[in-house]
Amino acid sequence: MMLFLENIKLALSAIRSNKMRSILTMLGIIIGIGSVIAIVSIGDTMRSVIAKEYENVGINRVIFYTMAADGVYTNEDMFTQDDVDQVKDAFGDRVPYIDTYCQDRKTLSNGKRQQEQVYVYAVDAGYDQVQPMELLYGRMIDQGDVEAKRHSLVIEKKIAENYFGTVNALGRTMEIIDNDGREEFTVVGVYKEADSVLTAMSGGGMPTVYVPNSVYFTPDSYGWELNCYVDETADINLLRTQMTNYVARMTNRTTDEVICVTAREEMSSIDSVMGILSGAVGAIAAISLLVGGIGIMNIMLVSVTERTREIGIRKALGARTNHILTQFLIESAIISAVGGLIGTLLGIGIVALGGLLIGVAVVVNPMIIVIAVGFSAMVGIFFGIYPARKAAAADPIEALRYE
Amino acid sequence: MEELIRITDLNKIYDSGAVQVHALKNINLTIERGEFVAIMGHSGSGKSTLMNILGCLDRPSSGTYLLDGIDISQQSNDALSDVRNQKIGFVFQAFNLIPRTSTLKNVELPMIYGRVPGKARVERAKMLLEKVGLGQRLEHMPNELSGGQKQRVAIARALANEPPILLADEPTGNLDSTSTIEIMELFTQLNREGVTVIIVTHEDDVAAFTDRVLWFEDGQLVDDRKVEK
Repeated sequence: MMLFLENIKLALSAIRSNKMRSILTMLGIIIGIGSVIAIVSIGDTMRSVIAKEYENVGINRVIFYTMAADGVYTNEDMFTQDDVDQVKDAFGDRVPYIDTYCQDRKTLSNGKRQQEQVYVYAVDAGYDQVQPMELLYGRMIDQGDVEAKRHSLVIEKKIAENYFGTVNALGRTMEIIDNDGREEFTVVGVYKEADSVLTAMSGGGMPTVYVPNSVYFTPDSYGWELNCYVDETADINLLRTQMTNYVARMTNRTTDEVICVTAREEMSSIDSVMGILSGAVGAIAAISLLVGGIGIMNIMLVSVTERTREIGIRKALGARTNHILTQFLIESAIISAVGGLIGTLLGIGIVALGGLLIGVAVVVNPMIIVIAVGFSAMVGIFFGIYPARKAAAADPIEALRYE
Repeated sequence: MEELIRITDLNKIYDSGAVQVHALKNINLTIERGEFVAIMGHSGSGKSTLMNILGCLDRPSSGTYLLDGIDISQQSNDALSDVRNQKIGFVFQAFNLIPRTSTLKNVELPMIYGRVPGKARVERAKMLLEKVGLGQRLEHMPNELSGGQKQRVAIARALANEPPILLADEPTGNLDSTSTIEIMELFTQLNREGVTVIIVTHEDDVAAFTDRVLWFEDGQLVDDRKVEK
């Protein structure tokens, strides 16, 4: 143990006395570990960003749509309000919210010249119960709006600011314009859109405004899908089977033609894609670690040759074979571990800088630092074995004569 | 007096395939504890070979070498390392200090391999450096010292584990005459304190400091006589 500490001190002083060479030797490991850390952290960060996106979208969301075997959509594939009501009657206990996810691009105007494109989302009452929304003023579309077919409108904060110069736009009148003409709506609520990295990166999406589905979605209009939010406590697999069967019967289709997508599944499939991606890039990074390791072996061989005389002296003074072996092993392990540490910091630095630039909170797993440094030390030991054995095997008489 | 080294019918043959070199022929030799011995001879006389065997850096081809009761020819490499560490203090012509390592650390080195605990080690190293007159040079690097100073550090290092034997190979070969006398006086003093000193040299002036001269020629011990003072 005592010798171990001495060896570490010795290795550090050897590294210090050959700074330039040590850094060049470490470079392979620095780049290798740096890229591994960067890739893994980018992966972790992406995963957390996506998980957050799904929280915005709603993790309990289940979507059904139908598709003919030839993959072509027709009006037959659409759902009517009647369909929604049927499903609601059958599964309302476990599916608190269903709509047809009817979102149309329309023009929103304040009745004067100012206007912009928005998504008009025709929601049922209780949408804010299943999809968390940050309401700044007023309320979300409610049962009264739906039943009385009131022209109520919930707008985004920025719209309120742009059109009325104030966030509190309750009671103001706006117009939604489409090919059929223009209709007046009264603002009953102002919400703030959740910060979303994906929309931020795509340069900010079009804002969404909410209206009652009874206004925009008359019994003879259609929607492409059944957009359901299921109860968290429900058995999702069972529910999915039951609902698929139900929808198939309702629409006179086979169960194969009813497609069900759950947010959970999508998330896990994105997760697995990310996993494969990280694995692939990790393998490439492993190659650079291999190259780095060979670099260390090379420089250790040079070092052993240069220090032949020192090895001879040490042996004459009583160093055993193992003493010399550990001395050089520890030296290469430390060179490599220090390289790993620098690489880790570099990798984290790059990722953190990138995160700062695109405004994402970077996720760095502290375990990865321990693993990276440990692994690079192992690379150092592995590639140090051959040079160290060569040093340890030196004949003391020959070594002492070495010039 | 007590016997420290006994060499019986010792031969050393270097066999490099085509050529066989009979470096030492039938050496019989006894050195007692506390002696001050010079090994002399021309180059190629076998004195360096004997030195390597005495220093347990090499094994004899035949015959026995008993050092303080230990049969050297029967020991493993690691056992020889331990014997060198505990029984022998080396002083070399080229000083052989570890470069970029302070004098203190250099003197500590044999004690590190001898597993002397840190504090005791540093204290003993300091004491030894003071003894050789370098108490003020503890943190100097070898390249900051003169030849004579380097050799003093080497002697301090050789004494680290209190070995019974100091084995010096041309210790004054790289020194000027003043330093030579200083170093030889240091050896004389250490010998009076009880250390057995064996010096390989080809200089009569150096041999004159010792009590006994062994003269080698052509791999054989041809003369063994007391030095007249």
